[in-house]
Amino acid sequence: MIELRQLRKLYKMGDSIVHALDGADLDIGAGEFVSLTGASGSGKSTMMHLIGCLDRPTSGTYKLDGLAVNRMSDRQLAMVRNHHIGFVFQTFNLINRTSAVDNVAVPLIYSRKTSTRAAAMAALDKVGLTPRASHKPSELSGGERQRVAIARAIVNEPKLILADEPTGNLDTRTGEQIMAIFHQLHAAGTTIILVTHEMDVAAQAKRIIRMRDGKIVADEMLDEHKRTALQAEARDARYPVGSPT
Amino acid sequence: MFFLRICWMAASSLRANLMRSVLACLGVIFGVAAVVSAMAILEGSTRDAVKRFETLGADQIIVMNGSDGGRGSRNAVSLSLTHSDADALGELESVKNTAPESLITAQIKHFEKNLSIQLLATNQNYATINGYKAVRGRTLTKQDVVSGRKVCVLGHKVARQLFGETPTVGSRVRIGGIGFTVIGVMEKKGFLGMRDVDDQVVIPLTTGLTRLFGNKYVQFITVQAEESSELESIMQEVKRHMRVEHSIRAGEVDNFRVMTKEQITQQIGGFVQIMAIVLYSIAGISLVVGGIGITNIMLVSVTERTREIGVRMAVGAKRSDILLQFLLEAGVVSVLGGGLGILLGRGFTKILENVTQLLETYTTPRSIILALGMAFFTGVAAGLYPAFRASRLDPVEALRHE
Ligand SMILES: Nc1ncnc2c1ncn2[C@@H]1O[C@H](COP(=O)(O)OP(=O)(O)OP(=O)(O)O)[C@@H](O)[C@H]1O
Ligand SMILES: [Mg+2]
Repeated sequence: MIELRQLRKLYKMGDSIVHALDGADLDIGAGEFVSLTGASGSGKSTMMHLIGCLDRPTSGTYKLDGLAVNRMSDRQLAMVRNHHIGFVFQTFNLINRTSAVDNVAVPLIYSRKTSTRAAAMAALDKVGLTPRASHKPSELSGGERQRVAIARAIVNEPKLILADEPTGNLDTRTGEQIMAIFHQLHAAGTTIILVTHEMDVAAQAKRIIRMRDGKIVADEMLDEHKRTALQAEARDARYPVGSPT
Repeated sequence: MFFLRICWMAASSLRANLMRSVLACLGVIFGVAAVVSAMAILEGSTRDAVKRFETLGADQIIVMNGSDGGRGSRNAVSLSLTHSDADALGELESVKNTAPESLITAQIKHFEKNLSIQLLATNQNYATINGYKAVRGRTLTKQDVVSGRKVCVLGHKVARQLFGETPTVGSRVRIGGIGFTVIGVMEKKGFLGMRDVDDQVVIPLTTGLTRLFGNKYVQFITVQAEESSELESIMQEVKRHMRVEHSIRAGEVDNFRVMTKEQITQQIGGFVQIMAIVLYSIAGISLVVGGIGITNIMLVSVTERTREIGVRMAVGAKRSDILLQFLLEAGVVSVLGGGLGILLGRGFTKILENVTQLLETYTTPRSIILALGMAFFTGVAAGLYPAFRASRLDPVEALRHE
């Protein structure tokens, strides 16, 4: 479904050049659940923006479902984002002056759907927020806001969900609720790519990709054994040896 | 449908920042108020002028002092018309009647009552030419004029204000310090040409010229043609005859002007047009200023909502969708401002009407549509640059914006 070949993204900062993405090769099949980890500045968000058709690579090719996305016009990219891709951000990015259901309906407006309310309500129902439909974001908790954002991401039934640190601003318990929704979406066949630097979150995916300095340095499938190992590693990181329990 | 939704989105974002939206369209409010008032006043004065001149007969030709020597000559109006010109013109075959007329404002007194009036000195033909009748007593006769009698005929309102319901004919009044006998009271007529004749007192021309006006010239002569269908040729004849009367040689310019009711109406039309240009310019300038206000606020709004724009792009808004949204936002704020402006302009003209008591104003549906259209256009034009800026934002940069 996703085919990246020698994908590069450079930023010129005065005299120096930053290689935000330095020749990435990657294939992700339909229905996969992939997590993307790496240190801050390693190029995870850059990779997400390119995969999400929000940005264009400096060089290299990107095929989404066999379509050469890197050659599309702005207009075509907007349509691809609208129909095939759902974004979930760390900071939710809801429009504060309108209600939850209106926020969820925004993508439908841009796909020129005539009736948006029913579909938006259905999406809210999938994340369990029907009773909060008419609340404004400021009247919702962080977890609820992220659920509204997920409802907005899935309202057009995209094949691909891109989540950049979706649990980064949430406590562990709320984060788990959000992850439960991603698991449901994955079970329903949606491809999910999730950026996180929390190892126990990353370990919930079926495949884990690690990045460093704009390059992919590791790419492995997770079996039960590896998953438990990772989760143990994450616990140790949180409660270092010698700390009181 | 999409368009309506975008409109709705625009409206809701304006509502979210109500105070600023009102401030943004303040300029448009005043601009549109100016447009609406200008149009209402123009409409009022045009209708007024047309109404007044409709009271003049279609068979009338007016001879005035001054020259008709083309646009270049702006020499001061020299007086040249006399009552003998009127008599001479009256001799023409094609002319039915002539009335020499001179007008000043004067005070009329009856015991302790004192009124300011229009004093018209003319001859016996004035009433017949204008179809203006006496309701009590009589109008001027040839004898009154020839012998320069100190008699007067009162306009409807003058009579009522001086005498109320009591009989008036035969009463003595003083006009400009000279005693006159009232011989008649005219019917209620309203406007006859440019003035309200109910406020007018008529005296014999000879009496006026010798005792009150202090010169031998008349201000204009009303000529009534035999055939109103031949007004143009009769006008030429009057011109020729006047040149002979005034001994003007070939090549010299006239020292008088001849006009029909139609030409006077046209002149007023020209004047109204100049007024219109001046008023519309003022209105246009205030709309431009209003537009600049909107541009300003929209630019601030685009900067503030950069992240929102990024989100919209991320979920699939095309650049053209963003452009349209901000254009419509500017358009909607402007039309709302236009609506308020119409109310304000209407209020202003109503106050003007009541305070001055001079002119009536008319706010027509046409002017309302025009004003709203102009407001919308101003808004869209003003929103063009901010909307363009919004649509050119880079989605990734926009999402990163604080
Ligand atoms: N617009 C830009 N201009 C210049 N440099 C940029 C720009 N965007 C990103 N970079 C640089 O590219 C590199 C990768 O950035 P990116 O945002 O992809 O990192 P990240 O892995 O998402 O980090 P984090 O975990 O902190 O979100 C960084 O060194 C960053 O400074
Ligand atoms: Mg990042």
